[in-house]
Amino acid sequence: MASSSANVRLERLLNLTAALLTTSRPLTSADIAERVPGYPDPTEGRATFQRAFERDKEALRDMGIPVTLIDLPGSEPVEQGYQIKRQDYVLRDPGLEADELGAIHLALAAVRLDGLPGTQALWKLGGAPEPGTGTATLAAIPSVPQLVPLFGAIAQRAPVRFSYRGGSRLVDPYRLAFSRGHWYLDGRDHDRDAPRQFRLDRVDGDVELGEPGSFERPATMPDRTAQPWELGGDEPVLARMAIDAEQARWAVDQLGPAAVAATRPDGSIVVEVAVSNRDGFRSFVLGFLDHAEVLAPPDLRDDLVAWLTGMVGG
Amino acid sequence: MARPSAGDRLRRLLAIVPWVVAADGPTVEEVCRRFNVAEDDLLADLEMVFCCGVHPFTPDSLMDVVIDEGRVWIRYAEYFDRPFRLSPDEGLALVAAGAAILAVPGADPEGALARGLRKVAGVLGVELGEDLDVRLGAVPEGVLASLRDAVEQARQVEIDYYVYGRDERTRRVVEPHSVFTAEGEWYLTGFCHLAGAERRFRVDRIAELAVLDKTFVPPRKPSAPQVFDPRPDDPRVVLDLAPRARWVAEQYPIEHAEERSGGRLRVTLVAGERAWLDRLLLRLGPHARVVDGAPAAAAEAATRVLARYSAR
Repeated sequence: MASSSANVRLERLLNLTAALLTTSRPLTSADIAERVPGYPDPTEGRATFQRAFERDKEALRDMGIPVTLIDLPGSEPVEQGYQIKRQDYVLRDPGLEADELGAIHLALAAVRLDGLPGTQALWKLGGAPEPGTGTATLAAIPSVPQLVPLFGAIAQRAPVRFSYRGGSRLVDPYRLAFSRGHWYLDGRDHDRDAPRQFRLDRVDGDVELGEPGSFERPATMPDRTAQPWELGGDEPVLARMAIDAEQARWAVDQLGPAAVAATRPDGSIVVEVAVSNRDGFRSFVLGFLDHAEVLAPPDLRDDLVAWLTGMVGG
Repeated sequence: MARPSAGDRLRRLLAIVPWVVAADGPTVEEVCRRFNVAEDDLLADLEMVFCCGVHPFTPDSLMDVVIDEGRVWIRYAEYFDRPFRLSPDEGLALVAAGAAILAVPGADPEGALARGLRKVAGVLGVELGEDLDVRLGAVPEGVLASLRDAVEQARQVEIDYYVYGRDERTRRVVEPHSVFTAEGEWYLTGFCHLAGAERRFRVDRIAELAVLDKTFVPPRKPSAPQVFDPRPDDPRVVLDLAPRARWVAEQYPIEHAEERSGGRLRVTLVAGERAWLDRLLLRLGPHARVVDGAPAAAAEAATRVLARYSAR
């Protein structure tokens, strides 16, 4: 059984939450001593009471319960009191259907974000609707300390300041993306007045949040699914390349079935891709070693031959 | 098991009370299952709720808990009729896990998860896919599901596997132990009959997969997933990188780096597999020079690819 002191504390925390949530005016610490049972009597030891109350208040705030400190109207000199505003407290009901909650439960079981409280989040939505499935964790996604504040900043449209590779950056944060094992932030860099991407494991120290609601996110965002050969300033050309049968499936996984222009009798394929970054395209082609060949346009093919010839001669 | 702290119990109670209030007489068993709590612990917590309420703590200002024939009702708790808001870390945990599953090929963009997640994201004030985008790595549709089934049912699989580092295809029977993602790629670990040892495979390099009827005894404790573990006797190669090729030092595990004049960087890399080194050198072209380890590798690799272009 739980120790009785833990029970006393739990009871006091529950009563304190109820008191701060139902009060029509902010409660001073004297009000709280009077209205919430379980505190040491302040008339016997003011400091003991204050310590217990401070500790409880912090416990509620750490949990995410919004305990606010408010000036009491009409008090002279100004006195302050505590309150939990209902509109700040309640979770708006997302109105989940049973199958939707079930699917979220399974997703949380399969993907774990290191150090983040997925189970508690599920409780607030109504808990696990099905018995545990025994599904092993499929993916553990690494976390960085800046992730949670940046997520909050994106939701609030608050600009952020952080230190990145030795310099201070002021950024309107648009999107967090996890790709190829790393977290990235997409946003607008104020000093450069241009969209930038930041790798979060290169952000040093804390993220400072600015005023919420300070910006609008642009309607069109850079396409995260863009391939390396599509991200560039080169004049776009449609490139054709042949890929051997044994590598064809892998190539289709990368490019999508729409890129396949022809399938030859030996199982090899011809694909077409729009290239606006020639360096990126060359790296992609050479990743196939001698299992792929650039067919057209001639200048792309010549570029590749010249690159390779340079390596042989050098 | 360590007893949860008063804070942890409060957090759980503040979720249980609203749920029970709304459910109107759920069974105690269901409450325990949903909130992952032992019946004794739940009853102890509810007994305490019974003594809680608001000033002046007269009977009508206390919450009322009734437990009857295995069912439970909570009344006079209208101030706790909703759970409290999701904190940013809870919201992120929910949305990121869901977004990751939705990005796996074959996930239904209009299925229950997608619908549920959009609702949760709406409450949090974020937009799925726009504000948060989680990609665990591209794999062919169906392969992942088949592999997970094989792991769960302890059935052997036969795979046609492309060994990237040696640029060759192999057929092998594997006892699959686990499927997981790390560093943006999906992996299968298991006992490989061809190698006679535990091996790790990249799922996107499995060209064909057949789940066999033959079962195996799963290991009691699968070895911890390890993505890159060079062996001491793997060959090393020393490269001089031009400024444009310095990214290599950030992308690959390097053993040694030394600044050279003109912004060049000299690095020592583990190059266990020749085809892996060939790809890197082909990609770097004039921006890298092999100083030690495999001096002719770049020219040889380029010559092999060039042969394809002069054959016609």
